[in-house]
Amino acid sequence: MSEHHHHHDAPPSPYLEKRRSGVETAELEARVKKMESLLVDRGLVTTAALDRMVEIYEHDLGPLNGARVVARAWSDPAYKARLLDDATAAIAELGMSGLQGEHMVVVENTPQVHNVVVCTLCSCYPWPVLGLPPSWYKDAPYRSRVVIDPRSVLAEFGTELGPEVEVRVWDSSAEIRYLVLPERPPGSEGLDEEALAALVTRDAMIGVTRLPALGATP
Amino acid sequence: MSVRARPEIAVMERDCALPRKSGELVFHDDWERRAFAIAVTLCEQGRYDWEQFRQHLIAEIAASASAGGDPAAPDPHAPGYYEHWLAALEKVLAESGILPAANS
Repeated sequence: MSEHHHHHDAPPSPYLEKRRSGVETAELEARVKKMESLLVDRGLVTTAALDRMVEIYEHDLGPLNGARVVARAWSDPAYKARLLDDATAAIAELGMSGLQGEHMVVVENTPQVHNVVVCTLCSCYPWPVLGLPPSWYKDAPYRSRVVIDPRSVLAEFGTELGPEVEVRVWDSSAEIRYLVLPERPPGSEGLDEEALAALVTRDAMIGVTRLPALGATP
Repeated sequence: MSVRARPEIAVMERDCALPRKSGELVFHDDWERRAFAIAVTLCEQGRYDWEQFRQHLIAEIAASASAGGDPAAPDPHAPGYYEHWLAALEKVLAESGILPAANS
């Protein structure tokens, strides 16, 4: 997949330093506007559909990063060991950008232990791997209640845990961002990494839900 | 409508990786957002494979790098990611017969 593996830190994107003159910007604006109006004239796209597509990508790209990390960990025991040992480095290995300055810790769900992530102080969240946080993540009720009574909060998300399962609540901070490694769903044996990544949801990586067995109707 | 981001777009790596800050997409100007949306939407419609677009994007970025750009110390005034994106998009639209070749 990737040509080289010598980067262990995600390099800062040169794009972020990009500067253009007003003239350049105006030319580029005109070029894209012309392209868009030709496509609209031919009935190939609508402006609304384009807006909608940007929205989808702006919201969706983050969680896919996390899903790739999870899928790799499920498929490759050596990668999983590195991920649990030093998540920041293991995530950077996959070539993801935007990881500067955030220390990641990955906690593994097992049949005995269920992990869930919160930020009681504000809304610290592993943006680089999960994208935009869901609105409930920032809500005071979630932030306070999940610490005091995690089982009830999880039950509200449809996650019923037996008394034998230990629940661990991880409080994120500006320095440490947690990511839950969900249990690999039964029935997913034999799937490749891409297919596995498609199974992983944002909520499962926050730890408020578990991934359903394949073929099961939710 | 439950369209999800396509993994092959989300996981582009190295030089052609989408510019992000803290995991989120970054666009400096609105035209970049429009060019992004056009490329992705037409691919979603099946008018070309993402790989076809990606190969053009790689070629544009490589051409710019061999023209003297130093990846370690990028010149903020040189054409950036979305200029290459736009050039790649113009080529793929022409190649797929969607629009005539841009003559700008």
